[in-house]
Order: sequence, then C-alpha cells, then structure tokens
Amino acid sequence: MEDKSRESFEERSRALFHDSVEGLDFALRSRLTQARHAAVEAASTRRRPWLLRLGVWTPAAGVTAAAVLGVFLWVGSPLGQHAATVANGQPNLEDLDIVASSEGSGDAMDMLQDDIEFYDWADKAANSGSSTSS
Amino acid sequence: MPPFDTLNSAWMVWDGPAPAPEEAVLEYTRELEKFLAEIERRAFRMAQVALRDPDDAMDVVQDAMLKLARNYASRPSAEWRPLFYRILENGIRDLQRRRSVRKRFMAWMPSAKQDPDNEAQDPLETVADASPAVPEVLMRDQAMLKLESSLQALPARQRQAFMLRNFEGLDVADTAAAMGCSEGSVKTHYSRAVHTLRDQLGEVW
Repeated sequence: MEDKSRESFEERSRALFHDSVEGLDFALRSRLTQARHAAVEAASTRRRPWLLRLGVWTPAAGVTAAAVLGVFLWVGSPLGQHAATVANGQPNLEDLDIVASSEGSGDAMDMLQDDIEFYDWADKAANSGSSTSS
Repeated sequence: MPPFDTLNSAWMVWDGPAPAPEEAVLEYTRELEKFLAEIERRAFRMAQVALRDPDDAMDVVQDAMLKLARNYASRPSAEWRPLFYRILENGIRDLQRRRSVRKRFMAWMPSAKQDPDNEAQDPLETVADASPAVPEVLMRDQAMLKLESSLQALPARQRQAFMLRNFEGLDVADTAAAMGCSEGSVKTHYSRAVHTLRDQLGEVW
C-alpha cells in the first residue's frame, strides 16, 4: 500500500514536470536552440588540430613582431647610433672624464650646457689635428 | 568512487588524447547536438526550479552546454548525461553562493536595503491571460507550482537527487556520478526527499 502510494506520487510528479517542460514558450525554446548551436560550434572548433588553431599562433606572432620592431627602432634611433659611437672609440669616454672629474666638475658641466655644439666642434677639430699630426 | 571525481567547481579542462580526425569530429558533434536537443528543456526546467529565475537558469544551462562541448565532447556519449548534470549542478551551486554573498553584502549596505531579486516587474506579466482557462490545465499548473515550491524548500542534495532520479530518470549510478557522491548517499537523499515532499504536499495533491 505504502509502496503503491509512493509510486503514484513519483509518477505524478514526473508527469507534472514533463508537462511543464512541454509548456515552455517559444522564446525560451529558441534561446535554448541558440545555446545548443553555440555549444556544438565550440565542440567542432575545439577539436581542430592544435597547430591549425589561430589562438596558438597569436601570442607567438605578437612577441616576434614586438621583438622585430624593437630591434628596428633601436638600430634606427639616435640612441642606437650613439651606442655605436660609444662602442667605437675613446672620445666619449674622455668627455665623461672631463665632466666627471672632481676638479671643477660643476664648471665643466656648465660649459657643456652653455655651448655644447662649440665643444663638440672643438673636440672634433682636436681629434682631426692629432690624427693629421700623427 | 564515482568516475567523474576529478570534475569540480573549478571546471577542470579535459587533457584528453590527441585531436580526433575530422570524420570523428563530425560524428560526435552530430551526436552531441542530438544529445543536447534531447535534454536541454528538462535541464532548463530543473535549473529554473532550483534558481527560481528563468534568466539565471538559461545562463547556467548555456554554460553547462558550452563546458560539456569544449571539454568532454570527445568522451563516450554514454558519459555525457551524468557529466552534463554534474556541470549544471556545479553552476547552480556557484550561482546560489554568489547570490547569498550578494544578499549579505546588500544587507550590510545601509543605502541598499532593496532585494536585488525584486526588480521592477514587467507590467505585461501581471496582465491576466486572455486564453480560455481550462480547469484541468490550471490544476496541473498549480500542482506543479506546489511541487516546485516544496522542492525549493528541500536541502540542495535532496533536491538534486529527486530531480535527477525522478525528473531526468537517471539510474542510481549515474545520479551518484552526477552528484559526486556514493550510490548509498543517492538512495538516502532520494528517499528523504520523497518522504518530505509527500508529507508537505499531502495525499490530496
């Protein structure tokens, strides 16, 4: 008796639930269909071989492009050229010695700031003079 | 031990074998579509009963579909049903947790005492239905409403066990896999749920 009553309760609740499922309106059914299509699409794209997936290559391509651009800018910029001259020769180190020397370093800095083009010219003239004399 | 014990609320990603050939992919996407079409409405109604909100229910069902498709589509199709409901139940639980945190936070805020769930109602929803009211349909609707309200009052595990066993028709083993517990626990939860529901709804229902 108890079992029968329990079974009928289970059947009734199941039937009510299925009725309510059948009664879902068109808008909800349509949204569920859209969700299903999106999920199926996701399943098919996910299973592409990993080498062919765009997402795999995007970060690597970005990093490479940034590195190439960085090298290009560095080599082409005045800073890069300056680095090349520093690596090539002595004159810049000598300038640094003059500027950084404890004896009247403040004056030296002022001089450089006053007319930097003149001192650059004087330095080049001195170098060319020494090279011609030697 | 249930076969899906590695699936938790962190939505672990399936690191399965190498990608399947295109033919196999087509085959299981077709099968997946069929499977989802078969369960989507029931899943939605079950989520709606648990969450009491059609938009939230739609969100968790959509999310569960996507997660199943992305992470488990290559699994044997016999595993999909318990896996899907495991994902769905995790989604429902996460949403309920977020809601309870938000509720506590809103209660703490002095300027925001309003319940966020009580948003302004669409006036169209309050308009009486113009279609002829069939008494039998009305009675069925009312009975379902009573059942829903009693289900919402049940502890979460009992509600899950009842809906998966009774509404979805999963067997004890699949229900255990979906709930992440032992078969004995499923039987206990289900039995308690039926007992409580019958007590609440009465013989007349």
